[in-house]
Parts: sequence; C-alpha cells; structure tokens
Amino acid sequence: MISTREPHDDRAFARALHECAEAGTPAYILGGGTLQGIGDAPLPESVAISTRALSEIIAYDPRDLTIGVAGGCNLARLSTTLANEGQFVPLDAPQPSRATVGGTLAAGWLGPRRASYGRSRDLVIGTTAALVDGTLARAGGMVVKNVTGYDLSKVYIGSLGTLGAIVRANFKTLPLPAAFRVAIAPLPENSRERAIEHLATLEVEPTCELVVRGFRDALPFAQGVDGTLFVVFEGSAALVERATRALRSALGAAGVAETKIVDVGARDAFARMLDAYIAPIEGRSITLRSLGLPSASVELDAAIRKALESHAVLVDSIIDGRCGDVISRLFVDGAIESAELRATLAAAVSAARSASPGATVLARAVPNDGIASWGTRPIALEAMHELKRRFDPSSILARGRFVGGI
Amino acid sequence: MSAVIERLRDALGDSVKTEPEDLASYAFDAYSEERLPTAAVIPRDAREAAIAVRIAHECGEPIVPRGAGTGLCGGAVPTQGGIVISFARLNRILELDLRNRRARVGPGLINLDLSRAVTGSGLFYAPDPSSQKISTIGGNVATNAGGPHCLSYGTTTNHVLGLEYIDREGRVVRVSQDDAGYDLTGAFVGSEGTLGIITSVDVRLMRLPEAVRVCVAAFGDVESASEAVSAIIGAGIVPIALEIMDKLITTAVEAHFHAGYPKDAGAVLLVEIAGVIDDMDAGEAAIARIARDFGALSWRCASSAAERDALWAARKGAAGAIGRIAPNYYIQDCCVPRTKLPQVIHAIDDIARRYKLPVGNVFHAGDGNLHPLLIFDRRDARQVQAVVEAGTEILSTCIDLGGTISGEHGIGYEKRESLSRVFNSDDLAAMQRLREVFDPARLFNPDKIFPSGASCGEVRAPLPLAG
Repeated sequence: MISTREPHDDRAFARALHECAEAGTPAYILGGGTLQGIGDAPLPESVAISTRALSEIIAYDPRDLTIGVAGGCNLARLSTTLANEGQFVPLDAPQPSRATVGGTLAAGWLGPRRASYGRSRDLVIGTTAALVDGTLARAGGMVVKNVTGYDLSKVYIGSLGTLGAIVRANFKTLPLPAAFRVAIAPLPENSRERAIEHLATLEVEPTCELVVRGFRDALPFAQGVDGTLFVVFEGSAALVERATRALRSALGAAGVAETKIVDVGARDAFARMLDAYIAPIEGRSITLRSLGLPSASVELDAAIRKALESHAVLVDSIIDGRCGDVISRLFVDGAIESAELRATLAAAVSAARSASPGATVLARAVPNDGIASWGTRPIALEAMHELKRRFDPSSILARGRFVGGI
Repeated sequence: MSAVIERLRDALGDSVKTEPEDLASYAFDAYSEERLPTAAVIPRDAREAAIAVRIAHECGEPIVPRGAGTGLCGGAVPTQGGIVISFARLNRILELDLRNRRARVGPGLINLDLSRAVTGSGLFYAPDPSSQKISTIGGNVATNAGGPHCLSYGTTTNHVLGLEYIDREGRVVRVSQDDAGYDLTGAFVGSEGTLGIITSVDVRLMRLPEAVRVCVAAFGDVESASEAVSAIIGAGIVPIALEIMDKLITTAVEAHFHAGYPKDAGAVLLVEIAGVIDDMDAGEAAIARIARDFGALSWRCASSAAERDALWAARKGAAGAIGRIAPNYYIQDCCVPRTKLPQVIHAIDDIARRYKLPVGNVFHAGDGNLHPLLIFDRRDARQVQAVVEAGTEILSTCIDLGGTISGEHGIGYEKRESLSRVFNSDDLAAMQRLREVFDPARLFNPDKIFPSGASCGEVRAPLPLAG
C-alpha cells in the first residue's frame, strides 16, 4: 500500500525521513511526479514523502541575480517570479506547472539549451538536503563563486532521491533576453545532413537546435520527409534578426525552402516541445534518452532506428544537434494488450540499447512496466554504492530505482 | 632507507626523488607553511601515478598532489610529510575534438597552453585564473579555480565534463557527467586533492565571441565603483568581466606595466563585453550610462587588441606588481552577494584602518569576489599579528553579509579552521560522508579543507603569505 506524507517544513521533512529510516520503512521523495518514468520503479509498499508543502520562494533579491527556493516550488512559479524581474533560470523541464525544482534537480534533467546555458547542475549555487539521519545539510551558498568544502549539490543533483531530499536550491539567475524566436523548417527528402552541416557554420548559434521526426504533439502540422528543424534564437532584437537571415540563407543553400518564424507564442512552442520529451502515447510507449557527441547524433539516431527495424514499434525521435542527445519514443500501434505490449516494448528497448548502451528511460506510458531504466554500468559503480551506504545505510530511499540496483 | 622509499624506487626508478635538495621544491606553495615530503614522485603516466598511490597507501603515507604550486592556501604543502605526486610530466593535450568542442588533457598542462593550442580554431578554454600562465589544469580543478571571466562563463566546475582518477587502491577510474549514476565529476572538482589523484581531465571548449570590447572607467573611490557594479548587475546586465582596482593597486600596476589605467583615480573599473558586433555599441552605452550615474569620472575603450591585452596583462599581474613595492603582502579571497559589495568594501577599509595596515583592493567585482591585499613587513611581529587578525575579521564580515570564505582559491590548510564558521556540524558531517567513500584512512592530502578534530571550533591563526 502506498501512503503519502506531506511534512510542513524542511525540519519536519528530515524528521519524516529519519522516522522511516528508524522503522526500516522504504520511502521515496515525491515532487510533482512528472519524471517518475526515470529510474526503475519504487517498491509498491514505499511511503511517498511529498515536497508539496515546501513551495515557497525563500530568498530573492533580483539585484543579486540569485534566488533561493524550496524544493517543492514548481517551475512555473519559479519562472513567473523571475520573469516579473526580467530574469530566468533555464532548467527547461517538461510540465513546469507540475514539475518541482527539487524533483527536476534530483532527476538530473537535461534540457536542450544546456550547450548555451549549462546543465541544471551548473545553475545551482547551493542546496539544503534533508537526510535520513534527520539532519539538514547545506552545501554551497548564495554567492556565485564558492570553493568552501565539498560541492555536495552536484552529488544530490541527478541522484534520483537516493541520498536525501533537496529541500532548498539556490540558483544563479540570468537576464531574460529581449527577443526569443523559434524557427521551424520542414526538411525535404535527403536534406537533413546538408542542413545540419550548414547550421554548423552559423556565426550566431541557436540556443536550441533540434531535428524532430514525429512528435506530432509538439509539432502538429505538416512535417518534412527528413524531419523538421526546430531552432531557438535568443538575444537582442538585432542579434535575432541577423541570426534568422543567416539561418534562411544556410537552409536555402541546403535545399530547404520553407522556414516558419514564430515570435508570438514562441515560448509556448518551446514549452510544447519540452513537454513532448516525456509525453506518453496512449499507454503504449516508452521514451529513451541517449547521450552522445553532437557530431555523432545523426548516426546514433540512425543506428537506433536500424536496431528497431525488426520490431513492431514505431519511432518518434529528436536529434539534438548542439547537445548530442537523441530522444527516441518507441510505441506500439495496434491491438496487442498488456503482457505482449510490455514484452514488445522491452525487446525494443533492448534493441535500441544495442545501438546506445548508455540510453536511459525518460518516460513510460505504463508505470511499473518492469523495463530496466539504466544502460551501461558506470566504471565507478563501486564508489557509488559506497556513497549510497554512507548517506542511506539501511537503503530505505528509492530502493532499487537507481543505476546498478542502488 | 624507509620501506616506502625502497618500494617506490623499486617500482618507479628515477621517477622518485628523495634527496633533500630535490625535495625542497616540493615543500611549499604560495602559502607560508612548509615541510619536506618523504619522497616526491613525478610520474610519466597514469600507470606510474597509480603505482605510487598504491604503495603510499599500503605504507600508510600521506599522498599530496601538486600542480604548479601557485595555490595561496597551502593546499599543496605536505603538512604531514608523505609522498608528493607532481604532475609536471603529465602536461600534454591527450585528445582534441574541435568539432565537439572538447579536449582531454593531462592535469599538469598549463592553463593558458590549452587556449594557445587551439588558437585559430575559433575555440578557447574559458576559466582564466590570473595565474593561468603558470598554474595547471589539475590544480585549477582541485580548487575549482575562477578568474575574471567566470562572471559570464562560470568557474572550472562548469567546464569539466569528466575526469580520470586514481583511487586509494591504485585503480584508474574514469567518470563523466554523461555516465549514469552520481555526478562524481562534480564531486571531485574543488575537492582539493582529498578524494583521489586526478590523472586526466575532459574539458569543454567554448566558441570565441565574435566581438569583444574592453573599457575602463575612473571613479573617485572604491565605494562608488562598487555601487556602479552592483547597479550594472542589478540592471540585469552581465558583461563577461567586471573588475575593480583601487588607487594603490593601479599605481603599482601602472609603474610596472604602463597599460594606460588612469593613475589619479581612486578606483578603476575594468569592463569587458562580448558577443556579436551588432550588440557592442548598445551594450557599452548601457554600462557607461550606469557608470556615469554612479560617479564615473571618465570612460574609455581600448581601441586595439594590443591595448586590450595590455589592460588585461596589467590586471592579471596586479599581485606581482604589488610584490615589487611592498615588503610583504597577504591576499584574502572571499565572496559576498553582489548587492553587499559597497558594504563589504567599506568594512574592509575600516578593518585595515583599525589595524593600521595599508590595504589594496583588486577584485572580481561582478561576482562579488573580493581580494583585499594587506601590506605588512613580516620582520615586525606586531604587523604579522595584525594581518592575521584583520584577515580573520574580513572573513567574518563576509560570512555575516551572507557570503563565504573562499570564492576561487579554496580552503587548503590556511582556512580550514574557519570552515566551521560557514557550515555547522551537520553540513560538515555530510561532506565527511563523501570523503569516507574515497579516503577513509585520511591519506589523500590530509590537513586540508576540514577543521582538525583536535582544535575543532577554535580558529587557528593563519601565517600570512610572504610577498
């Protein structure tokens, strides 16, 4: 049976973790629940300890370009607070009105603008973690440069709640650019490689550069045979204008005739794209993220597709030209039901992993589908197990969800 | 001959140094503490480093990694003796992947040599501590080094994609930010050699901006320059560098470098903006307007690359220039929220006056990262004591203003007893858990970062740096 607790403040949160540890009760930390597809499933009898009550903006003086928020604060609230002062923190996670700061960080979310702005770990300047011994442990602070003790924030970020709960995070903020433009270009047959080659020569780089195939939930209009290019330019109005001209000319040279510019609603278009990263299809899909080098992302996508050829699955994909990620949404179209569906998806994931051993499950349509999340075992797995033992000796937190059975 | 020396010599031959005259150069860094190690190992490759670590660990000898020895906090000093591992020979670029903007380098590679090696490719390595002509990437990783340009580009940790380390049993382990599992890369950066010995580093290279502009504003005093910086940041303008030098520093710098800083100004503000050509004029105008609103007496932009380089060379050579005019000096490194800059500058001035010590200010103002430089004569015991006390008071002031005791140099040996002023016992206990994973025997760079158990809670008087 699953029960949920909602501690009212960070002290109470640490106490709740401690009580579970004392009683030996398995528990997991619940934010907005948007990224529960990442990781292997928690034990059914786990207690969920929710950060719902920890939602406040704790410290914000816009003139410092830093902000401190509670772990349960959702990303929409964070964005609105910052936007009112002309600032932002580019976490770029899906479903911002549900996703929490703590959950996004714990999941180690990697957004498509990170080649320009850094990963979420690079935007965090301090954290407070609630630990299973009932203590609150701070790392870093509210200053933008800090070499004072270990940078434990890095260890909590991406730990999937296996070490403790991020009950507070401090970020450095950025000034919002004056202009934010999305350009969308359907790619005609055999134009993709040339288009990507030409994009690499742009003097003004997009902050996000994706080639999307499928994902009609994000791009609900006619797409190109070779996919659809989705790019974001940000900066001054002059910069964005110049970037657009250069993009049109580069794409024209690559045989791409049509480029649609989105100014009004550009941020919404970007948000829809982010939502697609974890959106399931009718209970019949699983989404994988493969990380690689930008130069190899097209080949990686092709290899994943090839590996899936003999399976009864369809693939939506996003190739991230700046970060090197490939997002593959595998889904089964047809009449097969539960057990067979699960077996088909499991076989497909396994085949896709043969092309990308480091692929990680990002989202699943069926919770507890039993399909393993993690790809290749990291070389340092032994040290990671030891780290887990030091922070959570009786392994009550998110047991079995993380890599290597952590 | 001790057992450890015998074993090291047997395994590593002439990579091991044990003669006192050889060991003398491994006894100190830019801090005042010194002690001879039992032996120094200068490995030719990661395999030799691994053997040295395994033998030292089996013999219970401390292992102290050493880059160029430019650290100001005693981080490279073998305070308990033991084995120093110098990375002088692991100084090559191992792989260069320009298309994907990354490089794999030996920890002994000199920071500036990396950017020099990719000159012409349109890329560069962004972290640029003032010591970049001599300090090494490995040392920069250990201290999470900053530099003037981390205002926009971030510190070393934001540019390290992965690394290879030797664990206590002498195994070579590679970690990457892209691995599944905990971000051990992030844990190693800034850990000051206390978790393992780093034998290679994967770094991110960045595209050079299309245009840069370097401008200098003169102010009547440091307070008004600091207020201007707070206002620039507060207006949501983030140039790539915002540096302040006061009159004492500017005078010393100009006497040596003749870079063209205004000599009669109470303080100068050095501003660098970067981006696309189209944005330069508007960017400069917005900053110049705020500077004038806060009392800038003049505003001038470098008109050539040579002039820009000269301004930067002088700024980065400030500490050295002071060394030529002062008997001794002591540099502090601390950080406050940007809105607190005017307050902390005022407090530092007040502290220096009370202790009757001349103070120079040269700092990364845009980051709130201060480097007050106290001038003294080490032959005068009263002055030495005054420097110790003033330094501690400055750190206290920064903590009280919501800041911290190191922005970019690390804690090392010098500030370890002050760490418990920033973090409580629960915070420190969590950090110890990480250390226990990698170094339960406390052999990796002992006496660094964390307060000594024996004197926990009391502040040990630091010994000021000799200029």
